[in-house]
Amino acid sequence: MKRRKLIAVGFVALAALVFAIAAGGVSGATKAKSITVWLQTDAQATNWTPIVAAANAQFQKDHAGVGVNVQYQSWGTHLQKFDATLAGGNSPDVIEMGNTEMTKYMAAGAFQDLTADKGSFANSSTWLAGLAASGRYNGKLYGVPYYAGSRVVTYRTDLFKKAGLKVPTSLSQFTTEGQTLLQKFGKKGFSPVYIAGTDWYFAMSFVFDYGGNIATRVSGKWKGALDTKKSIAGLTAFKNFFNAVSRASKTTDEAHPNPYDVYAAGDAASIVGPAWYTCCLGKVYTPVTAQFTMPSHTKGQVMPGFLGGSDLAVPVGADKALGEDWIRDYTSNASEKALEAIGNIPNTTSLFDNSKINERAAARSWFVPTAKNWVNVENENILRNMLAELLTGKLTVKQAAQAASDNIASILNAP
Amino acid sequence: MTSFPADSQIAAESGHRPARRRLTWARVGRASVPYLLILPVLGATGAVLGYPVGYLVNLSFQRYGLPELIQHAGHYIGLHNYWLVLHDSVFWDTLRRTVIFTAANVSLTIGLGTMIALLLVRVSRFVRLPLTAGLVLVWSMPAVVAVQVFYWMTNFENGVFNSILGLGQHDWYATTFSQLGLVTALIVWGALPFVVITLYAGLAQVPHELVEAAEIDGAGPLRVFRDVTFPVLKPIFLILTSLSIIWDFGVFTQPYLLIGREHQYASNYLMGVYVYIKAYSGNDYGQGAAISILMLLIVAILSIFYVRKMVKIGDVQ
Repeated sequence: MKRRKLIAVGFVALAALVFAIAAGGVSGATKAKSITVWLQTDAQATNWTPIVAAANAQFQKDHAGVGVNVQYQSWGTHLQKFDATLAGGNSPDVIEMGNTEMTKYMAAGAFQDLTADKGSFANSSTWLAGLAASGRYNGKLYGVPYYAGSRVVTYRTDLFKKAGLKVPTSLSQFTTEGQTLLQKFGKKGFSPVYIAGTDWYFAMSFVFDYGGNIATRVSGKWKGALDTKKSIAGLTAFKNFFNAVSRASKTTDEAHPNPYDVYAAGDAASIVGPAWYTCCLGKVYTPVTAQFTMPSHTKGQVMPGFLGGSDLAVPVGADKALGEDWIRDYTSNASEKALEAIGNIPNTTSLFDNSKINERAAARSWFVPTAKNWVNVENENILRNMLAELLTGKLTVKQAAQAASDNIASILNAP
Repeated sequence: MTSFPADSQIAAESGHRPARRRLTWARVGRASVPYLLILPVLGATGAVLGYPVGYLVNLSFQRYGLPELIQHAGHYIGLHNYWLVLHDSVFWDTLRRTVIFTAANVSLTIGLGTMIALLLVRVSRFVRLPLTAGLVLVWSMPAVVAVQVFYWMTNFENGVFNSILGLGQHDWYATTFSQLGLVTALIVWGALPFVVITLYAGLAQVPHELVEAAEIDGAGPLRVFRDVTFPVLKPIFLILTSLSIIWDFGVFTQPYLLIGREHQYASNYLMGVYVYIKAYSGNDYGQGAAISILMLLIVAILSIFYVRKMVKIGDVQ
């Protein structure tokens, strides 16, 4: 009896010892052996991964024995996953954030302050102003600009040539050309310019082109600006353009289907969207494809386009020194040059090349209101709803704009 | 009332102390067996249900947004979250829409389910077998896959419906009614197998003699169903309908995926989607918790209302 008890006690002690060693070993191992980096799936493209690998190699040269665990996230779900890691205290050491997503998280205190180290990042004195602004909050730096992307028109040179059309220099010229294309090649479901009905990035370009805005800050409070005369003129122009040249669904978005898939199927003479759409146009039409900047309603000018882009930030609780070092390696001059070579806009104007259409398009761009609640306007799909309503005729342009404007003001001013 | 004194009298009369103690030990041992047996279930239920619900109630009294999430500390604000929710017109619109949606879905599910179950009883084995197999296949299809199939069928560019019905390019997602109609079709389609197979099993319990006797007495098929079949199946109907109410009221996967993340608007929210957008997209976990608690209460009220009504129908007959 006594011996049995002794054996039992011995087993328990042994188990406790093993457990303690295992627990100590595990926590010790994760602490210094590797950093976790969250990048978006865009960087998983075959021509992009070598740039990530080069940064990792450089990082590991400086930090022998520290691994880099790069995890790829999708735009639709990465914020919710990030929130969960913030709650659980296991955030990544570096995270890529969309430039419209930054403000809310900076305001909530999700990132570490990088202001003191700004000078240590490559080209920080010539960072692309529009992109750099998205990484600053209350005068402090939280996000290092990573890359930007502009929006252009991707079109079929063969169809334009057959119809005897030139690259349009004004909105009205583009509209007439679209109608010519429709008459010449207009089989069922064919769009001279394929525009997803609720593509708010494209629609807001019309608003800014006519001098309007989404929201403005008036003495410390946000005021919806879509109901102003200029914005309504822009939205009306968008509706007219859509009705004249697009046969896309009025209620769909620019991911269902992907415009480049419509183009690859031969159902569009042109598509509007990010310059990188050239990636996926299919074997048949890629050789007869070129791009031009979306023309403004003012002849000879470019329509302002949305400047998309990403920043890299170090979340609270992460290893700041290592995280910053990895960002330094990934946004080095060489790395940004490589990003530019595969069609992105680099984070610095010092690398700009005016012969590149996407960089020309970025010269005239617009950005969303830098309010901490802006991303909620996106998440509640206020602008998409407005566009669906005004295109389907459920509401007039004025009514839809008024409702959206009020809605945006109340979301942006919420505590 | 009159039984009380009698009981205590008996207890007092048999109250010889030593005898009672001996008896009590044995009795306690025997009496505690069922409680011991149910203890693991109670413990598990308490852990998996009680703890989260308690946490949810606690959360609903706090201001808990993104900054609080990062600092791991909320601020207690009493009933303010409930006040905010109840003063939000979106909540009331969503609630009204969801109640109508639930009523439509549940009645369609139960109505069609009953008809198919009655059909199954009548048809020959050669028809019954493939029909049952088909039902089981539908039941085993994951909701996410079913959504993809429905999305493909209702696609704008090259959907099956538009092609077969010759509608050209009809936009199936143009109006809220049409959107929620598709979601209803998807949910009813997915819920039918469970209802049909359960009712079919229940129909086997209806005594043949009763049906025959009623028919001999001149009762038509409707009368037979109302006065013979339905009373026998009533407990099954009660359970199926209550479960359907609970499922359909809080449904999330089908509307969120079929209508799409990019097209969830205040004008087409269902409760499940609304609470998700509030809590996770808007990072207002406190208000999200308050809405969840309110949903829990509403479902409970709906279910009680329904069960009472069903029981009453039985009483009259």
